[in-house]
Amino acid sequence: MAVSKDDLRDLFAGTLAWDKTKEIISGPKDDDRFEAVLELLQEQVRWPERILLPLREHLYIVESGGSRIVKCDCGHEFGDWRRNWKMSAAIIARDDIASMEEIYPGLRRPDPNLCEIREFICPGCGVLLDVESVPVGYPVVFDALPDIDVFYDDWLGRPLEDHQDCEDRTAEIISKWAKPLL
Amino acid sequence: MTIQATPGLDATLSPARDPISETGRTLAELLAYRRCQYDATGCYAGITHPHVLNDDPVRAELFHSRLLAALIAGRETTRMVSASPFVREVAELAIGIYTPEGDNIAQSPGIQVHIRCMGEVIQWMIEHDYEHEVGIDPGDLFWCNDPTVAGMHPADVYDIMPVFWQGELVAWVCTVIMEMDIGAVSPGCMPIANVERATDGMRFVAEKVGTNDELRHDIELKIKNSLDMADIFLLDRKGAIAANIRVRQEICRIIDEFGLDFFKEAGRELIEEERRNQIARIRQRTVPGRYRNVVPLEFYMADQPVSWLPARKDHIRLVPVEMRIERDGALVLDFEGAGEWGWHPFNATPSGMWGGLAFSAVQTLAYDGRANLGSLLPLDLRLPTGSVLNPEDVRPLATASIWAPVIDVFSLWCGMVANSYYMRGFREEMFTYRGGSGLQMAGYDQYGTRRPLLAAPTGNFGAGATGVCDGLDAGGALITAEVDLGNTEIWECFMPYLDLGRRFEPYSVGWGRFRSGASIPTTAMLHRSTETIAAGVVGGAAEYILPNLGLGGGYPGGRRFNVVLRNTDIAELIERRAPLYHELGHPASPEFERIDGEILRLHHMPPPMEVNDHDILIASVGSPGGYGDPLERDLEALRIDLEEGLADPEIAENIYGALAELDPSRNEWEVDVERTEDLRAARRRERLARAVPVEDWWRRTRERLVDGDIDAMLLEMYQSSMKMSEAFTSEFKQFWALPDAWTGGVQ
Ligand SMILES: [Zn+2]
Repeated sequence: MAVSKDDLRDLFAGTLAWDKTKEIISGPKDDDRFEAVLELLQEQVRWPERILLPLREHLYIVESGGSRIVKCDCGHEFGDWRRNWKMSAAIIARDDIASMEEIYPGLRRPDPNLCEIREFICPGCGVLLDVESVPVGYPVVFDALPDIDVFYDDWLGRPLEDHQDCEDRTAEIISKWAKPLL
Repeated sequence: MTIQATPGLDATLSPARDPISETGRTLAELLAYRRCQYDATGCYAGITHPHVLNDDPVRAELFHSRLLAALIAGRETTRMVSASPFVREVAELAIGIYTPEGDNIAQSPGIQVHIRCMGEVIQWMIEHDYEHEVGIDPGDLFWCNDPTVAGMHPADVYDIMPVFWQGELVAWVCTVIMEMDIGAVSPGCMPIANVERATDGMRFVAEKVGTNDELRHDIELKIKNSLDMADIFLLDRKGAIAANIRVRQEICRIIDEFGLDFFKEAGRELIEEERRNQIARIRQRTVPGRYRNVVPLEFYMADQPVSWLPARKDHIRLVPVEMRIERDGALVLDFEGAGEWGWHPFNATPSGMWGGLAFSAVQTLAYDGRANLGSLLPLDLRLPTGSVLNPEDVRPLATASIWAPVIDVFSLWCGMVANSYYMRGFREEMFTYRGGSGLQMAGYDQYGTRRPLLAAPTGNFGAGATGVCDGLDAGGALITAEVDLGNTEIWECFMPYLDLGRRFEPYSVGWGRFRSGASIPTTAMLHRSTETIAAGVVGGAAEYILPNLGLGGGYPGGRRFNVVLRNTDIAELIERRAPLYHELGHPASPEFERIDGEILRLHHMPPPMEVNDHDILIASVGSPGGYGDPLERDLEALRIDLEEGLADPEIAENIYGALAELDPSRNEWEVDVERTEDLRAARRRERLARAVPVEDWWRRTRERLVDGDIDAMLLEMYQSSMKMSEAFTSEFKQFWALPDAWTGGVQ
């Protein structure tokens, strides 16, 4: 079922009437959804770079001067898509009772000895991009490393001009940070 | 999913000859042949060119509808016969039709966990040569509830019957029902103080228990002598046998009408068609690539009264989850780095893990009513041997709560797939759920009957937010999606308690631009009980570490908790007709603190304790995840939450950055839009002022690790994963730039 651009916009904003929303939820999925969403999002952002893939709320993988980077809709850039964008974000780590109680009061609070609530924030606009709840000391989770070229080549059947190997390059950031320690 | 050829079975049949059309082949030969065909072609039963269903789509559709109708009718038959609330209210049952070699063709709605597990039991019987050693004849009945064969826990009992047509075994019918009593150590059918197999209760190892459609008399007597609730168990079996016979009769009618060859070929093609459809769905709705998350499993066994003393220790196990969606649409889940198995009833098994994947993948991806084994064929699980997901030898272990790690893993899996749906533009498909937990009781009820059972007011936890709307309140039971448990009072007939409250709990919610559904806590007051104990029931092993279920900037719901109020003044309050305790109130100053008495705040695995009349058991689950930055929540949606008691002004201000007041003249909530916009802008500035670059945080956390300055249970947890996996070890040490020799002080 094809969804119109107006309906898509309202659907994502949460303002589409429930009967229409329900129809989209329950109906057969539309084959051209990706193209329709891409077109909508490209119109909504205020910068010119081409969106290759919407990554998550507010973040996009875009083509920028021959490289592929993660970019916030506010314009802030997080660097190469293969390095976990969270490493370039700002963080509020809730790791004590007081800071946890702000979100989870009383009986609802996790144990700061075991759990850390990590809030990753866009340094450009202050939007909360991700909340990570993990055991203290667990490495930052790299939620999604999409295989963009396989997606465009094989799944969409319209290859991008250049290819980039889909490999986790977060270690490049770590080695920079670790240099003074050695 | 790879189907391994079984060593020792004759796998050398020429693929040119199709044995199923010949009589005289053994089931073992058939099974081996099917596996070879799949390995050789990548298509189920070697069906590279499906034609039976395609040649006449109307006939094909009619055929499938008839199968489905038979299954649904069978399932409803069971619900009429059974007396168990698990069947009648929770609807924790399902029926499937299987090929002679044990592959699922069609499945009723209900608990879709067992789609593959029940077929595994049939294949186990075939591999152990039941055909010759035990005998498989028309009217035979087999029971299996032994997780070392297959399945989720002993409480799930499979009733298995062969279907014959003119002397040839042409199919199997299997029904699963969850039992309240399986003869396990008290309390309930999923006991925690339970680490060895003996305390798990009765286990039927795919045993032949009936012939000519009748249960053996000696088996019936065995049940009556072994279970406190033998009547419920036997009525469930009658329901299952009735359902199986009904489906069997309908299969024979279908064969009569459509012909035997069509039945066989179309049945197999349904599996192959579904395999192809599942790949098509993955390729239509997701984006290939690598997705990650992590599940911590907390086990509090130190105070459990178990006689296997090495089990008495608290510990945590880590389960890193990596999902890879491949070029060809295959979806692989890799658990490299999962920590070691332990002495507790919460180790998963490969069969249990497949069960978790089955219901999660069916309810979120293959939900068009055609789910069968084919829905799982494009998926694969990599479960490290010796890990908490796949112990080397399950036989000595209790298996009552395989469910707990399974539900924690696959609720998160839903969130991982959700991230992929987002990229593809299908934000309405994003979804998470969450494991619950609660208090179960055993003892003598108001009628003087001994009750060992598990009370299961499921259907009480909210659903995760999607990318386009809030999650359903109390609508998060993906496991049995049909359950509503509107008639929760039924449990009062089975257990000596009265429900004191049934209110949505606003602080259970996972915050976000779209919030998760709210959950309903259980508030049970003991009433006319004798010698009653309470203990935990576990459906998910995360407790003090919140499950990582927030999506796109949303938060996971808060911690779940259990509280027991003992020696209260409730009797006196009732006498005086004063207000009782009905709802939690604010979690920092809960209403129950008003009650005079002893307050026990428990984790999800409390050891058994004595409870008496007027004691109150409170079990509150946390909801799954919200979606998006809460500061972006729509103010009208927030106002409605306030009106409906699903938020309060404190939540509005602290979480959503919104200022709301009750207008006393109209008794309506109002949100101050202008001041809210200012507050939200200020909040974003505050965030930036308070936040630090991740690099600073990384240095600080690294120092803590180098100094061994984190909780000893966590250090031991990391050590366990490092013992299990070199890949985990090197990635962990690389991330934190730790020296090779680092152990965190653990020897
Ligand atoms: Zn931004």
